[in-house]
Amino acid sequence: MKQTGKHLIISTSNDLVRIAPEYIIYIASDGNYSTLVQTDGEMRMLSYQLGQIEKMIALQLDTDGHLFIRIGKSLIINRSYIYYINIAKQKLTLSDTRTFSHTVSASKEALKQLKELLEKEVN
Amino acid sequence: MREEKDIRDDEIRVIGGSDRPRPTKRYQWLPAAFVAIVAIISIIAWRVVHSKQQPTETEQPESAYFEPQDSLSASMHAVHRHRIGHDVDSLARGFCEIRDTTINDIPLQLFIPHNAEMMLHVGQVNQRDTSIIYVAQAADIRQDNGKIVGAFVLNGEPLAWGLSKKGFCSVIDGKVTIGVAENSQLFEKATERGGYFFRQYPLVKDGVLVENEPKNKSVRRAICDRQGEIFMVESLTKESFHDFAQALVDLGVDQAVYLVGSSAYGWAVDKSGERHEFGENNGYTGRHKMPANTNYIVWKRYE
Repeated sequence: MKQTGKHLIISTSNDLVRIAPEYIIYIASDGNYSTLVQTDGEMRMLSYQLGQIEKMIALQLDTDGHLFIRIGKSLIINRSYIYYINIAKQKLTLSDTRTFSHTVSASKEALKQLKELLEKEVN
Repeated sequence: MREEKDIRDDEIRVIGGSDRPRPTKRYQWLPAAFVAIVAIISIIAWRVVHSKQQPTETEQPESAYFEPQDSLSASMHAVHRHRIGHDVDSLARGFCEIRDTTINDIPLQLFIPHNAEMMLHVGQVNQRDTSIIYVAQAADIRQDNGKIVGAFVLNGEPLAWGLSKKGFCSVIDGKVTIGVAENSQLFEKATERGGYFFRQYPLVKDGVLVENEPKNKSVRRAICDRQGEIFMVESLTKESFHDFAQALVDLGVDQAVYLVGSSAYGWAVDKSGERHEFGENNGYTGRHKMPANTNYIVWKRYE
């Protein structure tokens, strides 16, 4: 797993979350807030919309933000943990193949584009 | 900060700042080597300079025996936020989770919208609209002239400008904000951005109960913000403003404003698609004529 050395800092008036990007598996949107799913099994609710989190990643991590991919309106995933894509079933499994495995849903078109992106990186 | 355009569900986007090319692996060690060399030279220079100086007072506080100071080390506690509502797949069909709880002997029903967005509506709500998962009356209506009490913005159009109640709720670019303020810039922002805004009695501000003038008891309703989780609450018994607001505080609510209570009509649609009505639907059956400005908060599931 690539370590960037940078941390993503998400601060509100009441608290602050500081986390290394490699410990983020994915962030899911749920209306006004977002849920951060970590590699240690913790799930943390963030009082920001997913678009705002995306901007924080881009601003704070700069090119290291490429580690993350926004998928549709509802997901930001860590590309390092992409393990399995099934377009027909609209399933995306994020796993380190040892300690965790999370399956999320996304649109067929988005998964198709994700698959193509990964294929291009190989070539 | 670079503004990202909106994204559709059938699109993906690699996040990141500038698109400058990354250094090739062959030379990736160069910056690190440069930093290491500079660091070594700096350490040697620092040692040479400081070895000739007299020892000085340490800048770190030393612990005293007779007059010990409070610990100067700051501690951070992990803040674990627990949502009241269940975790729901973000692509699941929107619905309203209905939870029952009792706080301070007050039975409460919680309505937690999932995968839905809030807006305001003026006039009778279409009961056949299957995209709606929750409806409740928002701002009150003046008895003398039938106008909306307090400032009100509907889809960017200001319909009322009054300030008789300090609580407010706005929806701007899909984000619901609940607060207490005499003047809120969110009124103007809602007007500029095609958003929504209404005023009601404030119940909870920053986790602290707000007292209100009316002392009668009635079925109470509120829209609440608890650590970013937006939900509605209804008392299943007649309560005073004070007791209802205290129950919300004890529920851990950060911000809450009132919604029209008593027999005001509304409904919620649960996960199975079943509709749960509350209040009296006389205005919908034609038994009573509803004031034209009767207005509602309406949560609709994402398309």
